[in-house]
Amino acid sequence: MARMKFLSDAERCIECNGCVTACKNEHELPWGVNRRRVVTINDGVPGEKSISVSCMHCSDAPCMAVCPTNCFYKTEDGVVLHNKDACIGCGYCLFACPFGAPQFPSGPAAFGARGKMDKCTFCSGGPEENNSKEEFEKYGRNRISEGKLPACAEMCATKALLAGDAPVISDIFRDRALRRGKAGDAAWGWTTAYGKPEQAQERTQERAREQNREGQK
Amino acid sequence: MNNKETNLKRRSFLLAAGVGSAGAVAVVATAVTGKEVAKPVVVSAEEKSGSYEQTAHVSNYYRTARV
Repeated sequence: MARMKFLSDAERCIECNGCVTACKNEHELPWGVNRRRVVTINDGVPGEKSISVSCMHCSDAPCMAVCPTNCFYKTEDGVVLHNKDACIGCGYCLFACPFGAPQFPSGPAAFGARGKMDKCTFCSGGPEENNSKEEFEKYGRNRISEGKLPACAEMCATKALLAGDAPVISDIFRDRALRRGKAGDAAWGWTTAYGKPEQAQERTQERAREQNREGQK
Repeated sequence: MNNKETNLKRRSFLLAAGVGSAGAVAVVATAVTGKEVAKPVVVSAEEKSGSYEQTAHVSNYYRTARV
């Protein structure tokens, strides 16, 4: 059983907002609803960092815990989804979410008048039949059932935004971290983001040697 | 005189064609609206299939992310 996760590599994100655009286009989202956005820390200062944020499909999701109508559910892949037919638009999930993921199409308004909550579905649709018209209108496209991954991650030009099975993408990120070597204030720029291929090979060989040694013990 | 007769014939033809096409539109519209609107099928999370699989497309994505 897979466990779906997003992972944003701050060293690689160039704040192009390609992920935001890909998401909006893929699901034909209305004005005012951004399931994904790019946040930049120390904007304009050398060494600024950007990360792409959306619903992180938490293992212990606070939105699920606070929902008064219990409209959230988790798929077998660990994706947190919700049933819009049960949502009353109270906004509790918005206050509970540490990432600001829940979106309300009617904007800030009086209690219960925000409309149905909308959020990232990890491109997995909703409770309706896969790839049906109803599912698309309520939740957007269901790419997972088509054997694909979320559009935002697939679209990312620098592959800063990773999406997929947690062990696989964490392994990809670990390789990148090894290639970068020591972190710190000086660790910034192209070589840090992408490393040198020779360094990566050395690291991989070193790791293989270590594993062999451990295996012999 | 002859011209006048021709003009009348043409007008009656156009009128007949117009009435005919309006009738056809009405028949089609009735057929379309007469259909029952399909109700959305809600499947519970447990029953729903189509979960993640590492397809060739996904493997290709993982390969490009390793660059």
